[in-house]
Amino acid sequence: MALIEASHGSKVSQDNHQVRTAWSMTAPALALMFLILLVPIVVAGVLSFSNYSLGNTGFDWVGSQNYERLFSRSTYEKMFIATFTYVVTVVPISVGLGLGAALLVHSLGRVGDIYKTIYFLPVMATLLAMAIAWEFMLHPTIGMVNRTLEIACGTWLETIPFFLQGCEGSFPLWLGDRDYAIWVVCFIGIWQGFGFNMVLFLAGLTSVHRELYNAAEMDGARSGWEQFRLVTWPALGPTTVFVVTISCIRAFQVFDTIEAFWPQGGGPSKSAYVMMFAIFEKGIQQNLIGVGSAITMLFLLFVMFLTLIQRWLIERKVHYG
Amino acid sequence: MSGLQIDAVEKDFGETSVLKGVTLNINDGEFVSLVGPSGCGKSTLLRIIAGLETATRGTVSIDGTDVTHVRAADRNLSMVFQSYALYPHLTVAENIAVPLRMRQMSTTQRLPVVGGLIPGTGPLKRDISQAVRHAAEMLEIGALLDRKPGQLSGGQRQRVALGRALVRNPAAFLLDEPLSNLDAKLRVQTRAEIAQLHRKLKATFIYVTHDQVEAMTMSDRIAVMMGGEILQCAAPEVIYEDPNDIRVAEFIGSPKINILPLEHTNDGVVLLGRVLDWPMPAGMPHLMQLGLRPEALRLVEGPSKLRGRVVHFENLGSEIFAQVVLYDGDIRLTLRATPADRQRLSLGKEVSLEFELRSGLIFDTAGKRLRMAEVKTRAAKEVA
Repeated sequence: MALIEASHGSKVSQDNHQVRTAWSMTAPALALMFLILLVPIVVAGVLSFSNYSLGNTGFDWVGSQNYERLFSRSTYEKMFIATFTYVVTVVPISVGLGLGAALLVHSLGRVGDIYKTIYFLPVMATLLAMAIAWEFMLHPTIGMVNRTLEIACGTWLETIPFFLQGCEGSFPLWLGDRDYAIWVVCFIGIWQGFGFNMVLFLAGLTSVHRELYNAAEMDGARSGWEQFRLVTWPALGPTTVFVVTISCIRAFQVFDTIEAFWPQGGGPSKSAYVMMFAIFEKGIQQNLIGVGSAITMLFLLFVMFLTLIQRWLIERKVHYG
Repeated sequence: MSGLQIDAVEKDFGETSVLKGVTLNINDGEFVSLVGPSGCGKSTLLRIIAGLETATRGTVSIDGTDVTHVRAADRNLSMVFQSYALYPHLTVAENIAVPLRMRQMSTTQRLPVVGGLIPGTGPLKRDISQAVRHAAEMLEIGALLDRKPGQLSGGQRQRVALGRALVRNPAAFLLDEPLSNLDAKLRVQTRAEIAQLHRKLKATFIYVTHDQVEAMTMSDRIAVMMGGEILQCAAPEVIYEDPNDIRVAEFIGSPKINILPLEHTNDGVVLLGRVLDWPMPAGMPHLMQLGLRPEALRLVEGPSKLRGRVVHFENLGSEIFAQVVLYDGDIRLTLRATPADRQRLSLGKEVSLEFELRSGLIFDTAGKRLRMAEVKTRAAKEVA
């Protein structure tokens, strides 16, 4: 009996020892995570309830005033509209184009590599540098876009209202026109982003078992669409969830195009005043740390929400077995 | 005319010729195995029959109808794949139902919500789920219907793949090495079950395997393929006892058949320097090959024509396989012995071997069987 107790006791101390070792091993990682991830978020959260400015010695608590402003002032209404327009446009189109391009490139074999490179080029190029190229192309008078459109003047294309208006008056100012500005930003976002999605989908496609297509054919799936529904799409499930989440987060983070095109204001009459730019403008340019922190918290909330949806979807729906 | 006819099928992949004019007639309800070493073209032939691959030349007919240019989905054949190829996102029941849903329901009827509103979908769905249950019961996987393939063991997945194949009534079942991913014990069990299934369904089965034991135990006929040709297609016992070609004799049978050089001189037939009492008919070539199955050799006491030393032996309990290196010519022979002979077969021991002349198979140097030589031998033996 005593022997059993003694061995039991030594087992407990051995367990304790293991627990201590485990904690000491994880401590550095935990400390780092705490310091560089959680602390800044908590600090931002605390500051969002204050009127702190960088350089000031003190600050006053303003309660939820910063948040109330976000939901009452028209500038922030424009911010939400611009951000959600961008997200809702760019995410589905860049994911759809990415999938389409991936399927086409995948079916090509060797020649596909050339397309892969071409579509991936905008991803590799810095968006800031590319924005300058786009600014040139979209210039109302000397830009390539409007000059190309002018070629259509005098042809049958003038029957289309857009060309008729353009030829009689002038073609759109693009970056200077508040009706076009956000759509131009969306277009560039799609152009820049879908190559990345394509590469992710291509990686997903290589994991589809070739024999499944043969099985689908034997089972009577005659059209390409039926085979896509039965084999490709389910197999791409995890990839799709990942691509959609990444695209959403990237879309919420759009900043450099807007900073490059309109460094002083977020587009004509703030039509392209997206969240990231608002954070930059309030928190850094105007030194209104409180408001900047409040927008940051809201941004983190959106991203957190998206990530949770992704985790839930991945665990429930798209991982089979 | 029913069954399946393959007529002079050739297949080239670029410069490489994989099938060199294969002709095979398969009767209705017959179980035919295509067996051969890897790379012999047996899987390609099966895929051509299925319609997943097109023949470069030649025709494939099902029940007398030429289907060479009919796509796989319209040939009314079922196939079980080596990897099982189950849809990972569907449950077992849904997997088995796929061939019926694809063939019997329209695209709109298959839609998740809208499909249910179309008249006729309800009864059709009930019929399909009944067929699925029936197939599942036949394969004893009724309890697994709600699981996903990822939650099943290899053997269970294999049954689901079989279920998906037999849920509809195809003209023939094509099986591409369906047992190769199972462990040895399960393979033996499933082998018997597939053979029973064939007897129950009375359907045409075409079974591709590289495992000669599977082919021998399950088939009505075996087609031995090598280098893109069918060397011989016959019942398993004919393939074993009466092969047309030395490659067939070497491929079928485990352990492998023993091959000894045979000379036909003016003195008579010479085996390893000893003249045999073997009346050879005229016109036989100078050099020949003698094939002896391991069970054709037996141990004898005292001097004999074949003497050698045991270099290796495997005791399987019910039988013993011993490898003997002959003193003449440094030739290694495999011998099958009974456990009673175990005492005489220790490693390094000298043994004398004997064989019946009539159990020898004779081939020419190119590997073609020389039946003429054997018939005479047997006749002579009987006279003696």
